Amino acid sequence: MATVPALDRPPAAVADTPVTQPRKGFRKYWHLYAAISPFYLLFLAFGLVPVGFSLYVSLHRWDGLGSMEWAGLSQYQYLLGDSDFWSSVGNTVLIWALATFPMIFLAMVTAVMLNSAVRFKNVYRFAYFLPNVTSVVAIAIVFGSVFSTNFGLVNALLQALGLDQVAWLNTPWGIKIAIATLMTWQWTGYNAIIFLAGLQTIPGELYEAARMDGAGPAQTFFRVTLPLMRPVLLFVLVISTVTGLQSFSEPQVLLQNTANESTFSGGPGHAGRTMVLYFFQQTFDNNDFGYGAAVAWGIFLVVILFSIINWRLVQRRGED
Amino acid sequence: MPLSRRGLLRAGLAGTAATALGGLASGCAVPTGSTGRNMVLWYWDGGLGDTVLDKARARYGGSVDLQAIKIGGYYRSKLITTMAGRAHVPDIAGLKGEDMASYLPNADQFVDLRTLGAEKYRSQYLPWKWDQGIADDGTMVGFPIDCGPVAHFYQYAVFQKAGLPYEPDDVSKELNTWEKFFGAGERLRKRIPGTYLLSDVNVVFENAVQQGSKRYVDKDRHFIGDQQHVRTAWDLAVEAKRRGIVSDLVTGTPDQLSAVQDGKLPSQLGASWATNDLKSGVPKTKGRWRVADMPVRPSNNGGSFLSITKACREPERAFEIITWLLDPANQAQGFVDAGLFPSTPASYGLRKLREPDPFFGGQVTMDVFGPAAQKIAVAYNSPYDVALGQPIKDEIKNVGVLGKDPKKAWSDAMSKCRRIAEHLGVSH
Repeated sequence: MATVPALDRPPAAVADTPVTQPRKGFRKYWHLYAAISPFYLLFLAFGLVPVGFSLYVSLHRWDGLGSMEWAGLSQYQYLLGDSDFWSSVGNTVLIWALATFPMIFLAMVTAVMLNSAVRFKNVYRFAYFLPNVTSVVAIAIVFGSVFSTNFGLVNALLQALGLDQVAWLNTPWGIKIAIATLMTWQWTGYNAIIFLAGLQTIPGELYEAARMDGAGPAQTFFRVTLPLMRPVLLFVLVISTVTGLQSFSEPQVLLQNTANESTFSGGPGHAGRTMVLYFFQQTFDNNDFGYGAAVAWGIFLVVILFSIINWRLVQRRGED
Repeated sequence: MPLSRRGLLRAGLAGTAATALGGLASGCAVPTGSTGRNMVLWYWDGGLGDTVLDKARARYGGSVDLQAIKIGGYYRSKLITTMAGRAHVPDIAGLKGEDMASYLPNADQFVDLRTLGAEKYRSQYLPWKWDQGIADDGTMVGFPIDCGPVAHFYQYAVFQKAGLPYEPDDVSKELNTWEKFFGAGERLRKRIPGTYLLSDVNVVFENAVQQGSKRYVDKDRHFIGDQQHVRTAWDLAVEAKRRGIVSDLVTGTPDQLSAVQDGKLPSQLGASWATNDLKSGVPKTKGRWRVADMPVRPSNNGGSFLSITKACREPERAFEIITWLLDPANQAQGFVDAGLFPSTPASYGLRKLREPDPFFGGQVTMDVFGPAAQKIAVAYNSPYDVALGQPIKDEIKNVGVLGKDPKKAWSDAMSKCRRIAEHLGVSH
């Protein structure tokens, strides 16, 4: 058996370096600080300043061009009672759930299949990764055709099975399912690659031992693979939460309408209106930059909430 | 010479610092507008005719360097952001008609065209269009480019087969009220099953509102979307649904386009520019279409303006360019280049605009659009119209598509509007 390197002992080279005084540190390492400064300077200019500014804007009424008018917390007060905002939160979470759970399942299946020896492994990896680097706009246009009522592939399939047509992009649930399917398709391959990387870190000895103890394939998967994949699974969950809660282009392009109608309305019954879509509508359709900024901070709080949930999940797993 | 790592690092840092400093220095010199010599014009794809712009570049090339920049994406938000940032603001900015209401309250960001002698051009332009470019305080912000008179497009053979009037003059005359128009829709569906007159109820609702002289919010910042003019449009849309003359297709989808192509949706209420959408969307229908007057009276949809921003250093020169770009002869060229319907009635008689159009079976479409453009009612467009019109349009869509109870939909729309009005400081 291979020896496992002791990780708690730092490598000799690091241990031998004399500890520098913090006082002298900056003068000695200034060029290193300078070398990493571009990121922080750019972040300051294009990240932190706009974030601060949006907080400032959210306390005002502003049409984006004229003078700002102090509004105190009234934008937030309105946000709390704004049923449209809350329904957009609900839509986002529903679409996220409809997209994420099938996606994780499919990604895991794909990864396991890729992990068992197949030929042209790299070709498959490339093929599975491709949807992720394709423009969402292009995908949404294609999916618009796939889910179209009379000529869509999905309805053709349903009819071949003897079922009725569904007006996917014209019914509340149809819209949600269409958006979720699009997101699943886009992210399955990416996450399969991540799962695959995780699978490959599991030492073969464990499988060998399991086989010698008489475990079947299913037992091996649930008793060996899955527990060891937990950190990877959580990583994937966190990433999909962050991207899923920010879905915007998918519903926007899929449900966009004629020129004189709002492209941010999210289809009939606002079924596809996600949080970010609602933010866009308020800010850029209605020119209500103050309220738009408040909505953006509302989204921030929702994302924080989900992050805390995720973080708690990770914490608890760590204690096991 | 040996190149040490430290030396390389130093050289790299010095280079980066120099670039950053250089960037800062040039950043300080960012012009808010023109340098006087160059004249920057912002427009969007199809916003102005290319031939006319080329000619303008040659004509004014001796004194200014005219840079016409086509801006893609969400035009208004890009223009507003640039103006709010007070850097690289164009000298001449195109303004879309549907966005006018949101620019007009900030008229102080633009040069008042009256001060440059706009008044003497007034008589050449459509009066209602001219007035749309003027803010509440009388400042003239926008100089008219084009307009979008709405007409009734229909498929000749389908109407004939359904036993409906089919010659343009007869269609205009006999389908001149919503009642007769809807009646024709019922007849169409009876004679040719599976055929609908219009794609959705929103077409009826929005055109009926646009025909009038009032929208959703009036000059005194009062919500009027609950009044009779909107209610009438709403009831018309509900009736269209009840009488079964609208399809359940979504405009612009492959389903709708194929229905149009197969003659299952043989009729549309569209603006002059919709001819281009038809030609590119359903090219196979060439020759099948005709144009007639829409029921009751024409409405307007779209059409834009040119403005001079406060950042412009040479407003007089800019104004000279604008008035030349948009004179009747060049507007006629704009129609040929980009389908921009002229706002100068003098153009309508020009030969360029009176060419028979083979897509419309050789009809001279100007015979319909020209008179229509001159019959459009002047309406006040409030900056709050978008926010307060949307809930009503959304709810009528719910009636049309999801079959929501119209009474419930109307009361939902009204309560939503009242909430939004309160939030925006609009009285109700």
